[in-house]
Amino acid sequence: MFDETDLILEARHVTRRFPAAGGRELVACNDVNLKFYKGKTLGLVGESGCGKSTFMRFLVWLDTPTEGEILYKGKDITRMKGKELWENRRHIQMVFQDPSTSFNPKMRIRDIVCEPLLNYRRINPSEKDAAARRLLEMVELPGEFADRFPHNMSGGQRQRVAIARALALEPEIIIMDEATSALDVSVQKTIVELITRLQREKSITIGFICHNLGFIQSFAHQVAVMYLGNIVEILPGESVSEKAMHPYTEALIGSVFDTKMDFSKKVVPIRGEPPSPLDVPAGCPFQDRCSRCREICRRERPTLRTVAPDHEVACHLFEKGGSAI
Amino acid sequence: MALLEINHVDISYGKTLTVSDCSLTLNEGEICSIVGESGSGKTTVIRAVMGLLPGGGRVSAGDILFEGESLLAYDQKKWRSLRGHEISMIFQDSGAMMNQTRKIGNTFVEYIRTHENISKQEAWKKGTEMLERMRLPDGDRIMHSYPFQLSGGMRQRVGIAMGMTYQPKLLLADEPTSALDVTTQAQIVRQMMELRDEYGTSIILVTHDLGVAAYMGDKIVVMKNGKIEDQGDRDHMLHETENPYTQLLLDAVPSLGGKRYV
Repeated sequence: MFDETDLILEARHVTRRFPAAGGRELVACNDVNLKFYKGKTLGLVGESGCGKSTFMRFLVWLDTPTEGEILYKGKDITRMKGKELWENRRHIQMVFQDPSTSFNPKMRIRDIVCEPLLNYRRINPSEKDAAARRLLEMVELPGEFADRFPHNMSGGQRQRVAIARALALEPEIIIMDEATSALDVSVQKTIVELITRLQREKSITIGFICHNLGFIQSFAHQVAVMYLGNIVEILPGESVSEKAMHPYTEALIGSVFDTKMDFSKKVVPIRGEPPSPLDVPAGCPFQDRCSRCREICRRERPTLRTVAPDHEVACHLFEKGGSAI
Repeated sequence: MALLEINHVDISYGKTLTVSDCSLTLNEGEICSIVGESGSGKTTVIRAVMGLLPGGGRVSAGDILFEGESLLAYDQKKWRSLRGHEISMIFQDSGAMMNQTRKIGNTFVEYIRTHENISKQEAWKKGTEMLERMRLPDGDRIMHSYPFQLSGGMRQRVGIAMGMTYQPKLLLADEPTSALDVTTQAQIVRQMMELRDEYGTSIILVTHDLGVAAYMGDKIVVMKNGKIEDQGDRDHMLHETENPYTQLLLDAVPSLGGKRYV
């Protein structure tokens, strides 16, 4: 399904350590390997604190990994500086979770969406009106909204403006950090319809952070499941409900409530909460909450293995050709 | 007799009518989910039941009956004996309702001692027991912690433990799982279902998550712009209703193996 020639961004062995009190260290991302393909969406799922946002922040230069490299068209972006960095920033843009805090409340929408264009000298200040109108219409907002301030708009409208700003420079990759989590379901649906339409038209690559597996699988081509800084499973979006193998992915699926489920069935949540990322156990990070934990899981950390095309799992249960031992 | 009856209630803040003509009946041991978009007035309704409308808010028409008695005629003293004993409430983030500079135990003991006349030691013991009944292991340690030292799921369990101390007949839950991770949400949802099974507590659940609303609720009420748009029992609402707004909301819920956009 994924063509290697479409590979646009690749993270190789990305690790991020933060120093913590008492000489300890917190490993927020541990040896993360992910591939982004042109025009496809990669969904990164996990509980809060699992390191998903930390990882995505590397891609927009808000932080740099301690180890590893991130290749954009073959060039390592983590080492870029100065002019080269400035020129590359416009290829990767970001949409944040809460647009009311990622906008300057004193700027008008026109200035917000045109700021990236002015920074890169794509337009003259006199062309702002036309540019703002064009961008707002692209995200299905009336052009008159250019005169408004962020607080005069609803959450869904603000998120559309955030998408317009991110798309202003025609980037190849957009990172969305929980971009729909603060919205109502009905608005969430319209935003998904918008971004999937824009993706088809402009073949944009999207990196989408989310904690709801049921939601992300409805529009992601690839889904990567992260737990305590480790990627535990990568699989195609359409096979999440049928082919997910890792016990943690199954637990996430089991925690999805939807209106078509069997209500007589008792929810069986996984036990406990993730341990503190400061003391990740040796061996498999998921061992203490896994119902199928065995002795080897306490000793050795499982690595990602390919079990089917485009499907990788890091679990001792599925070693030896994809079947449970 | 129904446990709670809300009859044609209007709620206004100052001169602005926020909720109009809201009617709802809840029987003992029943769970009712109120769903709607933000700003649809769902929280206002349950705040009115608890007598907790914020500044300037009041019930301007209609009546709220709890076990046949009108709550609107209650004076301060009667409210005090009702809240906590008969009706209690859980908020979206139970950590935020507590004083951040005081330990959980301190808050909990104060809560217990305003409701019954017992010594601090007894109240501490009662609080610890209650935390452990709500599946918080090592209750004593939690009593000695500050709210910010606990995870969101643990704080929510502390909130439920406080609310359930006197085994109220009615529990009002205002978005109790919205701030939690999906796995923790499933744990809390299961725990709230068990409250009904063990203590026969009736619950009004306010949520914007239709999946949770459908899983927990015997009845579902859909609100829009301060009005009840549609209501009925769960099967009716999920399969038979012809209300276009309800259907729009149902269609928007992502479902595993359901509609895909790509």
